[in-house]
Amino acid sequence: MIEIKNLTKIYRLNKKQMKESKTTNPIKTAVDDLSLTAKPGEIYGLLGPNGAGKTTTLRCISTIIKPTKGEICVSGYEVQKEPEKVREEIGFLTGDIKLDPQFSVDYLFEFFGRLHKVPAEKIKARKEELFTYFGMKDFAQKKIKELSTGMAQKAAIAVCLVHDPDIIIFDEPTNGLDIVTARSVTDYLKKLRDEGKLIIISTHIMSEAEKLCDRIGMIIDGRKAAEGSLEEILHETDAQDLEDAFFVLYKNQKEGR
Amino acid sequence: MEGIRQICSKELARVFKDGKMLISVFIFPVAIMIVVMSLVSSLSSRAEKDVEAHKSIVYVENAPEGFENFLLSADQECSIYTKETIADVLETEWKKTPDDTQAKEAVKTAIKEGKIDLMIAFPKDFTKRVNSYQAGEEIPQIKTYYNPSEDYSKAAFEVISNSVLESYRQSLLAQRVDDMEELTVFTVNSDNPDMILRDKEKAGGKVLGMLLPYFVTILLFAGAMGIGTDMIAGEKERGTLASLLVSPVKRSSIVLGKVFALMIISGATSVVYVAAMVAFMPQMMGGLSSEELGIDLTLKPEQIAMLAFLLIAIAFLYSAIIVLVSVFAKTIKEANSYVMPVYMVILILGITTMFTTGAPKEWFYVIPIYNTSLTLQGILTQEVTMTQYGMTLGVTLLAGGILIAAIAKAFESEKVMAI
Repeated sequence: MIEIKNLTKIYRLNKKQMKESKTTNPIKTAVDDLSLTAKPGEIYGLLGPNGAGKTTTLRCISTIIKPTKGEICVSGYEVQKEPEKVREEIGFLTGDIKLDPQFSVDYLFEFFGRLHKVPAEKIKARKEELFTYFGMKDFAQKKIKELSTGMAQKAAIAVCLVHDPDIIIFDEPTNGLDIVTARSVTDYLKKLRDEGKLIIISTHIMSEAEKLCDRIGMIIDGRKAAEGSLEEILHETDAQDLEDAFFVLYKNQKEGR
Repeated sequence: MEGIRQICSKELARVFKDGKMLISVFIFPVAIMIVVMSLVSSLSSRAEKDVEAHKSIVYVENAPEGFENFLLSADQECSIYTKETIADVLETEWKKTPDDTQAKEAVKTAIKEGKIDLMIAFPKDFTKRVNSYQAGEEIPQIKTYYNPSEDYSKAAFEVISNSVLESYRQSLLAQRVDDMEELTVFTVNSDNPDMILRDKEKAGGKVLGMLLPYFVTILLFAGAMGIGTDMIAGEKERGTLASLLVSPVKRSSIVLGKVFALMIISGATSVVYVAAMVAFMPQMMGGLSSEELGIDLTLKPEQIAMLAFLLIAIAFLYSAIIVLVSVFAKTIKEANSYVMPVYMVILILGITTMFTTGAPKEWFYVIPIYNTSLTLQGILTQEVTMTQYGMTLGVTLLAGGILIAAIAKAFESEKVMAI
């Protein structure tokens, strides 16, 4: 269970950053008073354009960055009070987090298993399961730097799931993957959902959200514009598909409604 | 604790399980050091031999009768030229024998150019003036000219002008007075082999104490520098640090794990370097052993124990400094440019102890880094007190601890970690 209550994240920009984003305002609100709840057994999708605050929200949940205001509870642990407990519960993956290129897939899998205090036999069993599922046995002994992008992404996914977490946080899960690998990843996320785990992902690909997510939170400019199942959102916005729905919400928010 | 151990062992695996890393960290620098030092010493000894083997070219003006033979019997390797024969060396074609000034000026130029090594100019009526000397008369003067920038010329000056002319003087003097002993009055240390009184161990400590703090600084810091910046800034640059930050390990455990790994690596490199230096010392020093230098370099067990504890504390402090600097850098390149000035400061503090004389003041031992150089020196010369040693150890560990706390704090900051 993930409960986000009134999450606000404000960044202070330095002069260089202000120049880069062509603004004179040193304060940038990435997430603005966002509340949402995601339950076990569902895939919750944060959907929105680039810069909407999806990644910032996921990073706040995984304790990498601290909320400016508001509260986030992960399996009952508050992210600021018990960050280590929160990190025990989650598996977090994003394109920015990479594995050490010098080490083999096998070594890193065991290393992160040990960091999560997973017993040796369990690590072995998890390795067998995940490596078989993702077809990674052929390159398990290779160093990360010798792998192709797809292989490295598979390895990163396997490593982040070594401790069999109840909550999986996935920033842009299919970003940079070929169509076959992308499908195997989304299939695996569905399998995990069916096992009763909570999966929260971020994406800007409407079709992916339509197919994969049980519930969707539409985020525009750091604020939640809509929340619900695909049907609920389509019904609410009177749209044919998610893309149309998004533009209805986008127009509404820009017009200040 | 488990987290610290895991992080530390991964960092060690990065270096020790990678053949290329092992070669570049341990073997390459040592091999380069040994090759360069032996090359330098063999080249310098070859140059020395070459100078010794060289036949000095000497021009003598107004040579008194018998002087040429005297010179040849003292230094058989030299070729002597006079006004009559000098044209051969200078390769000038004087129609007739040159006059004195002409020859003298030509020879002076040749000495500047390195063609002739030495000129000895006797006064014209040297023999007559020596033989008919009456008390109160002006004493005849021999003038010698040489070029200290030329090795051959310098050697010729030392051998001939300093010692051969002195013995020539003695031989002439012997003709004038019957009893040379009467003129000597007294000698200094002509028969006193025991004149040097010193504690061999202390002397050894003095030499070691001058060099060791300096080398330890270079080795411990330099050994940790490259790997330390890679460990933090490199991981940031590659985006691999974040994978540690989302694992359920405390930030302080990550920091300590990395600092301990760095300590072990820098300690190992310095042990390898020092061992190589000791093992290859004869080659590097051109075959001089410590016995020939008259110095005893052995250490007592308690000295070794004191050194070991202090070196561990220094490695801890240095590793913490390097990690702290790297935390604030975004890339390895940036980290390296931050570390350099720190390295310079540490080097300078290391050098200062090489040239301090007299007993250092008590409060010097509170200054971090500087106190470690003082104490290293003090242990080797056996002059450090237990209070000074304890103070140094305490200050070093405390400074390291404060830095670790600062690093852990920086790890909490999302701005510093740039994620």
